[in-house]
Amino acid sequence: MTTTTFASKRHVVADFAQAMDLCYERGWTDGLPVVPPTEPAVGRMLDAVGLQPDAQLAFITNRQVAVTAEKVAINAVMAGCLPEYMPVVVAAVEAIADPLWAYHGPATSTAGAGPLLIVNGPIARRLEINCEDNLFGPGWRSNATIGRAIRLIMRNVIGTLPGLLDRGTLGHPGKYSYVIAENEAESPWIPLHVQRGCAPGESAVTVLAAEAPRQWYNQLSSTPDGVLRTVCDDMRHHNSTNGQPQYVLVLAGEHMRTIANGGWSKADIQKFVFENTQNSIAHIKRMERLAGAVTPQDETAMRPLLAQPDDVLVVAAGGRAGAFSAYIPGWAGGRRSSQAVTKVIQDRRA
Amino acid sequence: MAPIEILDPTVEPRHQPLTYVPRPDSLKGKRVGLVENTKFNSDRLLHRVGEILINEYGAAECKMWRKHNASVPAHAEIIEEAKRSVDVIVAGIGD
Repeated sequence: MTTTTFASKRHVVADFAQAMDLCYERGWTDGLPVVPPTEPAVGRMLDAVGLQPDAQLAFITNRQVAVTAEKVAINAVMAGCLPEYMPVVVAAVEAIADPLWAYHGPATSTAGAGPLLIVNGPIARRLEINCEDNLFGPGWRSNATIGRAIRLIMRNVIGTLPGLLDRGTLGHPGKYSYVIAENEAESPWIPLHVQRGCAPGESAVTVLAAEAPRQWYNQLSSTPDGVLRTVCDDMRHHNSTNGQPQYVLVLAGEHMRTIANGGWSKADIQKFVFENTQNSIAHIKRMERLAGAVTPQDETAMRPLLAQPDDVLVVAAGGRAGAFSAYIPGWAGGRRSSQAVTKVIQDRRA
Repeated sequence: MAPIEILDPTVEPRHQPLTYVPRPDSLKGKRVGLVENTKFNSDRLLHRVGEILINEYGAAECKMWRKHNASVPAHAEIIEEAKRSVDVIVAGIGD
């Protein structure tokens, strides 16, 4: 074990059941029962990642809170993580504390985003992070608990409490846990983390402050542009029409094969989505998403949904069967206020 | 069964002492800075506030700065320029 010196206050209870009740009473859970964070369990978490308890992983300026490895480990135990998940949790904490992610906005905003984690590289397969059937659904410990650990850290360490500093008007179910992996084994494309600058052998997590997934359907087309026209039509008119956030486009098995068989790369997909999701300023004004009277020039002046083509993060994931895929809008504050951050998942053990 | 001990998952935020400059007794002749947070209509709202401060409270002038985005504090250039060129600041959220 790394050390037995923990700075956290201790609470003594009669048994595990009472410990779980205490966590409810103190307001330390997301509504589901948590695993009591005993010292040996917390120690195993730190050993797995090779960090001392007092190592500072992040500093949240607006809250003046230092996030230490000890507090991350405690909350990871409570979330139900296995110790080997810790490197992913640590990298995701670093991501949400990155100035580009800009914690304060997406974590507190009425727009109700949650941190979506996309895991790439060998660690995704080793930890069995689901990238196939029922992608956003229940059933995988790593998907369910890694994201839950991040949410508990936001709540317990950073103080992002629903109704107080988390003022999401609606929120969404991904705020319990929102973790997927890319299906690199079956993907015909460059993995997301490599597209974003990591080496192919590295593992990485990409974190986007994100709304809920929107599923779309196209069983008719057998061409890349035919399939993508459907999702572009959906995206063009969704809620953040004017805010230019980043997006994730999750392409599941059937759509992935159709698009790849047409010879399209991820860059081709990004270019097509950029070009085919633009709205006229007149339309945005008529839909009451931009103030002001419609002018004649507004009819032909186009507003791109994306600030640039690579603001749509293309991910190959989801079941092999079914003509369904999903797009996920980033936080409505837009890329000006928060951007996806990719962090390499490090093995710090000597 | 032996009692068990659990570790507290929470953190007390660090306290940061803040000192405010004394408020002026009057705005008469004062130069007013307006810090706009980029949200829809926040500039219009602050322009209106500025007009009221000039017309009804005798402020000498108003100038406006725009933050990088609504989620971050005013950046260093704003702070430095404000120190040099205005006497009071109005910062507000438009949404």
